[in-house]
Amino acid sequence: MPQVPCTHCNLTFDESVMITEKKGEETLYFCCKGCQGVYHLLESEGLDSFYDKLGDTKLQPAVQSSGDLEKFDLEGFKNKYIKEHEDGLYEINLIIEGIHCSACVWLNEKVLHKTPGVIEATINYTNNKAKVVWDPEEIRLSKIIETIRSIGYNAYPYDPALQEERAVKTRKEYYSRILVAVFGSMNIMWIAIAHYAGYFSGMEQRFKDILNVAEFILATPVLFYSGWVFFRGAYYGYKNKIVNMDTLVASGALSAYIYSIYAMVTQRGEVYFDSVAMIITFVLVGKYLEVLSKKQAVDTLDSIMGSTPTEVTVVNNSEKALVSVENVQQGDIIELKPGEKVVIDGIVSYGEGSFDESSLTGESEPVYKTIGDTILSGSICLDSVIRYEATKDASSSLLHAIVSLLEESITKKPRIERLADQISGYFSTVILLIALLTFTGWWYFGGNFEQALITGISVIVIACPCALGLATPMATLVGISIAAKRNILFKEAGFLETMAKSDLLALDKTGTITEGRPSVISEYPYDDYDKNLLYALVSTSNHPVSKGIKVYLETEGEYTDIPLEQIKTVQAKGIEAVCDDQKLIGGNAAFMREHGMACDETSEHTLFYFALNGQIVTRFELSDTIREGAKEAVAAIKALGIRVVMLTGDHEESAKRVADAVGIEEIHARLLPQEKAEMIDRFHEEGHIVVMAGDGINDTIALAKSDIAIAMGQGADVAISVSDVVLMDEKPQSIYEAYRISRRTYRAVKENLGFSLLYNLVAVPLAMAGFVNPLVAALSMSLSSLVVVGNSMRIKMMKFVVRSA
Amino acid sequence: MSENIIIVMIGISTLLGATGLAALLWGVKTGQFDDKSKFIDAARFDGEEELRDAAMMEEKKKARQKKRADKDKKNYMPAD
Repeated sequence: MPQVPCTHCNLTFDESVMITEKKGEETLYFCCKGCQGVYHLLESEGLDSFYDKLGDTKLQPAVQSSGDLEKFDLEGFKNKYIKEHEDGLYEINLIIEGIHCSACVWLNEKVLHKTPGVIEATINYTNNKAKVVWDPEEIRLSKIIETIRSIGYNAYPYDPALQEERAVKTRKEYYSRILVAVFGSMNIMWIAIAHYAGYFSGMEQRFKDILNVAEFILATPVLFYSGWVFFRGAYYGYKNKIVNMDTLVASGALSAYIYSIYAMVTQRGEVYFDSVAMIITFVLVGKYLEVLSKKQAVDTLDSIMGSTPTEVTVVNNSEKALVSVENVQQGDIIELKPGEKVVIDGIVSYGEGSFDESSLTGESEPVYKTIGDTILSGSICLDSVIRYEATKDASSSLLHAIVSLLEESITKKPRIERLADQISGYFSTVILLIALLTFTGWWYFGGNFEQALITGISVIVIACPCALGLATPMATLVGISIAAKRNILFKEAGFLETMAKSDLLALDKTGTITEGRPSVISEYPYDDYDKNLLYALVSTSNHPVSKGIKVYLETEGEYTDIPLEQIKTVQAKGIEAVCDDQKLIGGNAAFMREHGMACDETSEHTLFYFALNGQIVTRFELSDTIREGAKEAVAAIKALGIRVVMLTGDHEESAKRVADAVGIEEIHARLLPQEKAEMIDRFHEEGHIVVMAGDGINDTIALAKSDIAIAMGQGADVAISVSDVVLMDEKPQSIYEAYRISRRTYRAVKENLGFSLLYNLVAVPLAMAGFVNPLVAALSMSLSSLVVVGNSMRIKMMKFVVRSA
Repeated sequence: MSENIIIVMIGISTLLGATGLAALLWGVKTGQFDDKSKFIDAARFDGEEELRDAAMMEEKKKARQKKRADKDKKNYMPAD
């Protein structure tokens, strides 16, 4: 049957499963009711030009979510997120989910603009964050959120004060400094050209003076405004008694500047103002690239943090209030609604229900909890309203502890930069010493103080570490951006180096090699039955098994909606419902026996039975399936000379089966979370640099201990938080690609560092011999920097063979 | 050729450049470069309709200000 695209979201499905509709001549197809609803809404609002703008871009199907809208109007929420302007307007920052292209941004802005009461709505095209200003007398926030949801997107608030403001401020500061530096050095360049022309063809001193003064005026803001970061860095270095690159840049630029003023005033010798401006500009750009690669990590973090709630419903004498997480104290009673994520650890005091702890344990089966059981932050309440007593405050709860760990790691300096810093530390000391020696040597033997000073300064100027400063940031930035294009997010530039050096890969089984959710491997029908009934039944539950069966049924055909009545979910057992006069029961063997049906099959897989009117009609076997391409990826990684090990909490049998299927020989099964971490420690003792890939909180300790932690994009938030690399597309192949990219980048970094040292090896003796004048200094500096930039760009030529899995 | 001509030429051209620089710095400060995709993408959706839209938003803003001012007037109680 032909595949047709959905009119709204452009995803293609089989024609038979689509909702079809006639509109004049043409037929419209919709993949779901959500898309259909959005389409008609946009049409009636006169916004259907959205589809022309959209082109072929695929959206995610519109999900009509409702509920929890009232929380946006609560006082606690207002205090937390809403900023009140002086004139009584309210402002909020939102992250909008589901934006795929610029047409989506256009649509959202347009719809918000049309909403009465909204005074201002701007959406950032780059990171999908929105700022909305509205009049609280005309519209409520819940109505605004509802509007966004009605067109198939979702919005949740975030607190820009957390990460963003700081990052944006540094970035803006660097922008301004770079602008001044580039402006200054570009103008000095064309004045310097006149200077050089005069140098060769002769120029009267009075003209030289004018050019010197002009260069002086332009170089001053570059040195003191743009170069301020280096003086600050050199000062901190001095306080900690270390010589760093900032020391060399600051001392080189400053001494050249002071000497040039001397040359300008006494009208003797050449001025070095152009070199001063160039040093500052080049090294500043290198520093900025570093800041840029950190900024990307912050954007990723915001969307992770944004999905975790920042306030909880606290019940106090039967009064409910939204309290921000930080203000919750031990002993407070917190109410959880279905679908909410737990952010504070506690003990259930009222009600019972099942919790999805998959992010904590990696187990996809929900855990049933009743009064007296502990609830851990990070789990999700699935099906009922529960009240529990907080046993910890937010800052000591599990989730928070790890989130703050992450914030720390973002401000941490990349490891590879430390290496470059170390090299440049030695380098700076050596250069400063050589300059001093050159000066004393020339003075002692030549006897000319001025000549000796010029030569000494020219050593520092020519040894300017432009290329050295650009070597690492340039290469890592290219590496990171290539990885990001392939859906691999490196949180820090330095991780590329560590990953390149790694020689051991530890893999978690559930959720990493396998998909981490049950899917149907076989069906054993006993009797004919109406699949629509089963589909309707499993659609009512969020249980992984129900979802697995639903996915399986969806691949089989199309189903009509059948209204069910008296739906009842029995924890950890099954679901029952009534349709017309038929009684539907679906669940495990125990649930069937409870209803008086005999079933005695045993299997190593999960079993699901479906019964109609007390008669079992079918049985499903479900099991975790291995991710596509896992085998090829493992083979490719092994070919790189890396030892591949599997660590799992599962029993040997199923571990062995998966390991055999993907080709891993070394298995460590039945490991508790801390035993996994101990394994990592043991690998460390053996002298390995370990990369660990996992997805659940059960892997978190091991992830934190390993040198590089790779998390799956759909894994637990906490696992993503502690990880250094996130695979957004979850393909095992991406691990291999991450290895390739990091090795290639590291090679480029080494080449760059080697080149800039080689360059200095040639240039510094020349300067010591006194062959260097401003022209040579300027030329050689630009050339060496260009070589480094060009070499880094070569990483982009990397080819990835597309393997057919 | 006199020095003065060179001084004037360099002075004026640098000053012109500095004006541009000042404009850029102002742009950075007021956050006009925060969204790099907007330069490319938003230009595609720039038409008469969008202009009308922007004008509508301005009107909305004005209407609100006016409403507020009216309210303030209403609330104003002359001293007796």
